[in-house]
Amino acid sequence: MPDVVVFEDPTGSGKPIELERFEVPSDLPDYEQRVGKIPEADPHYVDLGMLYRFAQLEKVRREAPSGFVPLHVAVRGHMGTGKDHDIEQFAARLGLPYYRIPLTGEVRDVTLIGSTKLHGDGKGGTESRWEDGDITRALRGPALINLSELNAAGAETLFALHGLLDRYAALDLPTGETVRLRSDVRIFGTMNPTDLRDYAGTQTLNKAFADRWVIWEKDFPPADRIEEMLRIRYRDLKAPYVEAIARLAVEVNESFRSRDTTTRVETPLSLRAVLDRIPTGLRIYAEDDDPLRRAWEEFVLPHIDPYDRDHYETVWSAVVRRGPAPPPFER
Amino acid sequence: MLGTLLGPGDGAIEHVVARYQRVAPAVTRFARSLSGNDRLTVRLGSEPAVGPDEVVCDPRLFRAAYERDAPVTPEEVALASALHEVVHLLATRLDEKRIYPADWPALDEVPPEPIDLLDALHRAGGPVAETLFFAIEDARQELRNLSVYPGARSVLSDIYRAAYPGALRRSSPLAQFTLACFLVVGAHASRADLEARLERRANAALTDGQDLLLRAAATDDPWQVAGYALGLLEVARRHGLLDDVRLDTRPGEEQVAAELSDAVDRVRLISPVVRDASSYREVRRSEDRRPGPGERNADTTLGADPSTDQILRVSTAPTVYLPTGQSGKLIVVPAPSAFSRFAGDGRRALAAVAQRWEVSQRRVSGELYPLFAANQRRGLRSGYDQGDVSPHAPLFIGAGLYTRMYERRAARTRRRYAVSLLVDGSASMLQPRPARHGTSSWGMSAALLGAWTLAALCDELQIDFEVALFNRSFAARPDDTEWSYTRSKSQATAGLRQTQGAAADRLASTVNHYLVKPFDRRWRDAEDVFAGMFWTAAEPSRAAAAARRDPHRAPPVSMFEKASNVDELNVSFAAERMSRLGTQVRVLVVLADGMTRGSVNTLARTVDAIERTGTTVLGIGIGDDTVTSAYARSQVVDRPDELTRSILEGVRRALRRSLALWGMDAWWLRPTTTPGKETLDA
Repeated sequence: MPDVVVFEDPTGSGKPIELERFEVPSDLPDYEQRVGKIPEADPHYVDLGMLYRFAQLEKVRREAPSGFVPLHVAVRGHMGTGKDHDIEQFAARLGLPYYRIPLTGEVRDVTLIGSTKLHGDGKGGTESRWEDGDITRALRGPALINLSELNAAGAETLFALHGLLDRYAALDLPTGETVRLRSDVRIFGTMNPTDLRDYAGTQTLNKAFADRWVIWEKDFPPADRIEEMLRIRYRDLKAPYVEAIARLAVEVNESFRSRDTTTRVETPLSLRAVLDRIPTGLRIYAEDDDPLRRAWEEFVLPHIDPYDRDHYETVWSAVVRRGPAPPPFER
Repeated sequence: MLGTLLGPGDGAIEHVVARYQRVAPAVTRFARSLSGNDRLTVRLGSEPAVGPDEVVCDPRLFRAAYERDAPVTPEEVALASALHEVVHLLATRLDEKRIYPADWPALDEVPPEPIDLLDALHRAGGPVAETLFFAIEDARQELRNLSVYPGARSVLSDIYRAAYPGALRRSSPLAQFTLACFLVVGAHASRADLEARLERRANAALTDGQDLLLRAAATDDPWQVAGYALGLLEVARRHGLLDDVRLDTRPGEEQVAAELSDAVDRVRLISPVVRDASSYREVRRSEDRRPGPGERNADTTLGADPSTDQILRVSTAPTVYLPTGQSGKLIVVPAPSAFSRFAGDGRRALAAVAQRWEVSQRRVSGELYPLFAANQRRGLRSGYDQGDVSPHAPLFIGAGLYTRMYERRAARTRRRYAVSLLVDGSASMLQPRPARHGTSSWGMSAALLGAWTLAALCDELQIDFEVALFNRSFAARPDDTEWSYTRSKSQATAGLRQTQGAAADRLASTVNHYLVKPFDRRWRDAEDVFAGMFWTAAEPSRAAAAARRDPHRAPPVSMFEKASNVDELNVSFAAERMSRLGTQVRVLVVLADGMTRGSVNTLARTVDAIERTGTTVLGIGIGDDTVTSAYARSQVVDRPDELTRSILEGVRRALRRSLALWGMDAWWLRPTTTPGKETLDA
């Protein structure tokens, strides 16, 4: 019996979704390597609803009603909202090897699809051999492919993927081979919103390429979810610290989201800052008079633009002013 | 404590507003979150008011917060006082009409129609009940609306906690009770905290009214708060707190109410909208008086009245720090464009005066060009791989010197020079002075002609330069005409005298730095304004007459006031602007009459500090030899026709100095030594 994984709706309104985990066929030539790419489930992961939405789509895909075609999801959100983590955790739950392929302005179609390369023939000469690119390699077995930073790659590079992502569902290689989209391959993407903020290298997604994706927005989590994440991950972090960090994140990110350039900050308080950096700072400065303030100064303020500093500090004064009494951790 | 953190001048309104400006973006964002209105703007104005998309805060209220002594920082006070005012302006809504509540004290004649809250409360309990209501409502609003900003609330709490022991000591039992109600509802003090400080009856009343206070703190309905206030008044009566006061007459009641209000005011930060009934109504009326959205300048977040605009203008002006440790605000503004209306007259006058005073543009260029060219040449390096082909390339090739075929510019741009011309624009420069034939007011016109001449030279040689005029008066705006200038000046001055007392003159008469031709603009674009200014200086009476004839179109000729300048602030600022260009040769020419409001010693130290950075500062004194004391390199001009020679000599020496610093030596660079004059500066 294959393993079954259950996806719960965090809002409590949807029914739980049960999905069977994928099996990696042992006869694949790269079986060992592929199995090694199945991510570990993060015990501290908190689904804010994205995993459940993925599961809803996955359920439709597996039911394969007549006339339906596979859809591919691109998650769009600001830095530090946890887009890639969601996709990675979906792969972990489904037992799919996870291929994260970062797209940059330097990535070309040959990098993704493959090219003919020269190899030594062992006799002093050379011979040309086809070598799969990143995507082609992933497509040859069960995989969850995450094309991260979709809108950083040039449109001409992405054109090569059009056939794979639409009804044709296959990649034609220059060698004449056609690599079809297997039933156990899922393609995801992530991207930052294209606006005036400083996401260097991003551009507006080509309309034809964008049309081949389902684009879902990922926003910053609300305070109660941040608190939940912190509590799950740092069980001994005291409640006043959890609440203060969550409030800071919510208020800074509210300012970040402001459409009015005169009242907004250009750097959000990312989940990496909230879940990784600040708690580490609290651990380091646990003996300080005000560990949260010290962590803020050492692990948050250095990341922000100088012109945002007053705004960040005003948020600090309004929301916390004086951090909770030390020590931050119970033990 | 706040008192120890604030310097002597930090409580001045412009510093308070400047501090507010730092927190203003976040405060606006918080206000939007609190109101749920993304279009809400928070701006400063002379009267607090609130509209559908706008909250107007009076900066004087912020300043009052700095007079408290509490364990808070000035930045925290800036945030808390602004947020406090915004919260009250947004949250105070007392205009909803209802039928007189049945559970309120019975009236002789109950109005059959719905009435507003304050009317109902006044009928039910009089001024004392009103005061009690406003104290509780004030605390309730802060508790309910600032709970999402506990940091800001804690600042208020610290301010209140520092103030209430003294306020309780000086208050009557009834006032103590009222103040205690404010503190308990706002959760700034518990009953246990207050117990030892309250008079026996006030203490008992507080214990008895605890339930009402808790309910007042939990409600969102001001009508309910008013009901609890009436209940608390009854509690006070039961405990004999009203026995000591005379409430049998209307004046007596109002006097008691005023006493209660004073006691609370000694602790809370005052917000007019929630202070008392008359103050609330005044805020509402000011809302009606405010100009509509279409009548206000949409580009500004400043107050609608000139006096507040002026305060904000001063607050946001850059602060210039001098080497003596002194500092001052400097209003930096483009020169009013309306002066270009006098451009035609100005150009004719320039040509006539140049001829009369023998200031020949060509001659000046001819004298200085070789020096500039020599400096410019240092920007070229020879090379073999890139750059402009050397005019001597055939010779070099013939000689086998291939490595010198190309001349390559070492600098990225031509910005190897920067010249800044600073002209004294005070009215003292317009005073009559001895001239060739009698006396005439040639000071400013001579200075402007000199600046014009040098500006034209710099333009011809493609050297980055800036021309600025400085004075001390009410600062004109770039789009000012004579009418708008005099109007805003008189309105601002009158408003400031009403609200700022002794500080009014300081705020109205500012040190101004008018950028006639900034570095980043073309000379061609600035010529007309400069020519118009020249005509105003050369023909002040005719310019004034033209302004009187058509004040709505004429430039603000009244901006040249008889007030002493603060030269050192302007000199320091101009040098700092020039240093930002990253040029290697910097020459600052100051044309002034030497009358600085600051000290000559400070000016001398400022000039010395600038010289140490490598900038050559040349002071040309117009009819005054003060410059010789203040500037290491100076020329005194007693007659307008001496100006050419002075400019020529001064700039020549500055260029020679720069060449000498670069180690260049050529026969044509060597100065002609004149006894008694400074020659080549090392």
